[in-house]
Amino acid sequence: METKQGTVAVTLTVNGEKRVGVAEPRMLLSDFLRHGLGMTGTHVGCEQGVCGACTVLIDGQPGRSCLAFAVQVEGATVDTVEGMAEPGELSDVQQAFRAEHGLQCGFCTPGFLASTQALLEQNPDPTDDEIREYLSGNVCRCTGYQGIIAAVRRVATERKAASHDA
Amino acid sequence: MTLESTATDPAATSAASSATTPQQPRPARYVGRPVQRVEDPRLLSGQGRYIDDVALPGMLHAAFVRSPHAHARIVGIDATEALAVEGVVAVYTGKDLDWLAPMVSAGPMREGVLAQSRSPLAVEVARHVGDPVAVVLARSPYLAEDGRDLVDVEWEPLTPVLDPFAALHPDSPLVDEALGTNNISHLEQSAGDVDTAFAEADHVTRIRFHSGRSTAAPIECRGVVAEYEDRAGGRFNVYSSTQMPHLLRMLIAPVLGVSQGQLSVKAPDVGGAFGLKCTVFPEDIVVPAVARMSGRPVKWIEDRWEDLAAGVHSKDMHCSMEIAATADGTMTAFRGHFVTDSGAYSSIPFTPLVDSQVAGVYLSSCYGVQNVAYSIDNPLTNKCQIGAVRGVGWVPGQLAREVAIDQLARSLGKDPVELRLQNMIGPEVYTTPFGQTYDGGSYAAALEKARDAVDYPAFRQRQAQARADGRYLGVGFSPFVEPTGWGTASAAAGGLPNGFFDTASVTVEPDGSVTVTTGLHSHGQGHETTLAQVTADELGVAMDSVRIVFGDTDSSVFGMGTYASRSAVLGFGSIQESAVQVRDRLVRLAAAMLEADDADIELVDGVAAVKGVPGKTVPLQQIALFGYFGGPARPEDVQRDGLTATSGYNPGETYANGCAAAVVEVDVRTGLVSIEQLAAVEDCGVVLNPIIVKGQVAGALANGIGVALLEDLAYEDNGEFVSGSLMHYLYPSTTEVPDLTLHSIETPSAVSVGGVKGVGEAGTISAPAAIVNAVMDALSPFGIVIEKTPMTPEYIRGLVRAAEAAATGPARS
Repeated sequence: METKQGTVAVTLTVNGEKRVGVAEPRMLLSDFLRHGLGMTGTHVGCEQGVCGACTVLIDGQPGRSCLAFAVQVEGATVDTVEGMAEPGELSDVQQAFRAEHGLQCGFCTPGFLASTQALLEQNPDPTDDEIREYLSGNVCRCTGYQGIIAAVRRVATERKAASHDA
Repeated sequence: MTLESTATDPAATSAASSATTPQQPRPARYVGRPVQRVEDPRLLSGQGRYIDDVALPGMLHAAFVRSPHAHARIVGIDATEALAVEGVVAVYTGKDLDWLAPMVSAGPMREGVLAQSRSPLAVEVARHVGDPVAVVLARSPYLAEDGRDLVDVEWEPLTPVLDPFAALHPDSPLVDEALGTNNISHLEQSAGDVDTAFAEADHVTRIRFHSGRSTAAPIECRGVVAEYEDRAGGRFNVYSSTQMPHLLRMLIAPVLGVSQGQLSVKAPDVGGAFGLKCTVFPEDIVVPAVARMSGRPVKWIEDRWEDLAAGVHSKDMHCSMEIAATADGTMTAFRGHFVTDSGAYSSIPFTPLVDSQVAGVYLSSCYGVQNVAYSIDNPLTNKCQIGAVRGVGWVPGQLAREVAIDQLARSLGKDPVELRLQNMIGPEVYTTPFGQTYDGGSYAAALEKARDAVDYPAFRQRQAQARADGRYLGVGFSPFVEPTGWGTASAAAGGLPNGFFDTASVTVEPDGSVTVTTGLHSHGQGHETTLAQVTADELGVAMDSVRIVFGDTDSSVFGMGTYASRSAVLGFGSIQESAVQVRDRLVRLAAAMLEADDADIELVDGVAAVKGVPGKTVPLQQIALFGYFGGPARPEDVQRDGLTATSGYNPGETYANGCAAAVVEVDVRTGLVSIEQLAAVEDCGVVLNPIIVKGQVAGALANGIGVALLEDLAYEDNGEFVSGSLMHYLYPSTTEVPDLTLHSIETPSAVSVGGVKGVGEAGTISAPAAIVNAVMDALSPFGIVIEKTPMTPEYIRGLVRAAEAAATGPARS
């Protein structure tokens, strides 16, 4: 994306793949991912840091890509929705969102998936209150959150059952 | 989320059987089943293609210069500094776009509504904060915004018109001088003998209620990408995040000076819309116009401030509501006055009457009141335009009526549920005083079910106990009727008499796969799934062989788009009308191939079989191939028409119904309202897919919580807009929306194909009134009267403080 300031090369690892892109210092990470690297799975809803649609995992931690500059992630690892599962497959989190109707228009979904992934890393068996508290930084205008909360609960339950079986 | 559903209400079924269109028997292998959504894997893996994902070669990026004033004359615009920025390619003002025809809001095809013209970019006067006056094109969005900030507009501020009642005064300054008045529509309607009913009433309840200014604010803002090709005499391709591709094409082509054939509208995946995106906006015109002028494709993606300041606002309505009743609680008359604070422009195509008119015309709702009157006014003000947003004017109308009914109950000392049941219509087909004909519903049953869902008698005990402990709990009910399946008949019944219908084209391809095209659109509703369910059942094929095509005027048949909870009804009907014809051809082809009678052919899951003859089958692939290439052995109509049929559907009036019940706790020290339980009973007729219906209801309820408690688009006294970010405009999040209690009842529509009714707006219509009534019930020891939404902590705390001061008397004040 052309800019009036000078540009710098940004090197990072996106979904396990080393990528090099060119960014002006003021370019947002969300724009860098979407328009610089062509990874349009990350969505932008407000650029005010409120809606959470642009949430990605930066070095494993959920972060709003509209509140970070591309140059700040130099050398970092970024995980986006495009890398959540092998091509043609869905991760357990993605499958649970489908099973529980945790999405309608799909625009906020990549952010919710990233937050859910991070939540379950930190807290594999959250209570409903903990799920609600953790996901309160992501906004969905379609679902009323019922299917989203149920999807997170479903993944936690399934993972727990799988670990007991193992 | 608690889920429970009830089988068909027998009383209503008998109503349905007496209807004009009989229920079509059909093999329901998919309809009614909780089929997982077809669109999900794509959307879950980042493969959705939304408007900001569209990129065209050589594309420029647009940024709009907008008015910081509520009302100001444009003295001059100097773009010199902007154009000096490396990468800024052009700046266009309204004067540069004088070749465009005006945008005209002609409104519904009825008397009594003034048409308003505007230019897409304001030329002489800007009429609200955010009104666009110039557009900057640059090689990146960052550079376009750099240029935008350097465009120097010289403003001469004018007196803003901000109070809707002051705007109605003959001496008021005018928002639009050309109209000669601020009031674009004053309408009155009356049925029965309202004056006599009030004169003879034992009791009259009067309330005022201001339904606050909220909006859709979908997570995806709007966007337009346009190119102009020198092809076939010139052609625009417009990509837009619209809900109504064909209507948008129809409404923008004449402004751009081309025929509809010279313009295509392509709506990709749309990230939520909720009615907002069925409006025609200035940017829908300006972006293609400057693409033509600059000779380059142009992209504009709205930012959140623009969405909140300059999209459409909704529901800002000042209501007064009166109920006449006898001493025993029989409601004998309703009278309402509804003033919509309409903003600076009459929105296209639905106008602010989409709020005021529908608040009035459906006033009797599910009650058997025969004397009903309303009047509406639509004063223009120097604010953002009012347009269609989920629940439209049904929400304020519902608030006014249901809050008044609770007040009547308190005045009479009657139970609010019993009072409603006493006045409710029966489940059969019913014609309202204003002539809407309901297609049967579970009006009383839904209220009773909602009452049971909150365990009403137990709640009253718990409430009394809590009050003794200094805690304030309340319960509120809100039974509703939702007009759905917007077609010609329902639009006329709603006082907005334009023609509405839809078509669908169904094709069985030579390999037996099925392609359906429709002019409906999907932006979260899951039409790729539900319409495929319908098609598969109607044709007798497997659902995964069906593909639903929509969102491009070049590849879909004409249709009116998706809004007003219309697509389940219109989609089902138009697909069935077409599929029946194709199925008939498939059956005759199969009969010829199997040397059997047409009447003996069964087509199930893509295999034709002869009844009673095991093993005598032919798969759809072979039937289709025979249909296309089988020579003279095929029926003549198949030789001529192939395996495609296109038909339309224009349904009779369909009305969903249901009831919301809210249980709240109000913290009187902070004014904070917490929703302990929100229960909803939904009756949308025959359910196509229960997962999707629950999702629609839950989402609409969450929206209703926002309307009741959080969402407020605020203007300062000078017209400055102060809700321009999501830090000011508050959405319900996971911590405000509780675990919802969802119940359903299925009363098949007496008139629609398949018995289907719409469902999109129910929760937003019903929830706010339930919550307001619950809060007033909680605060009844203080005698507090709620007169507006949203009920912010500040508002509630102010009421409590005033009530406490009044109770303790002037000595302590």
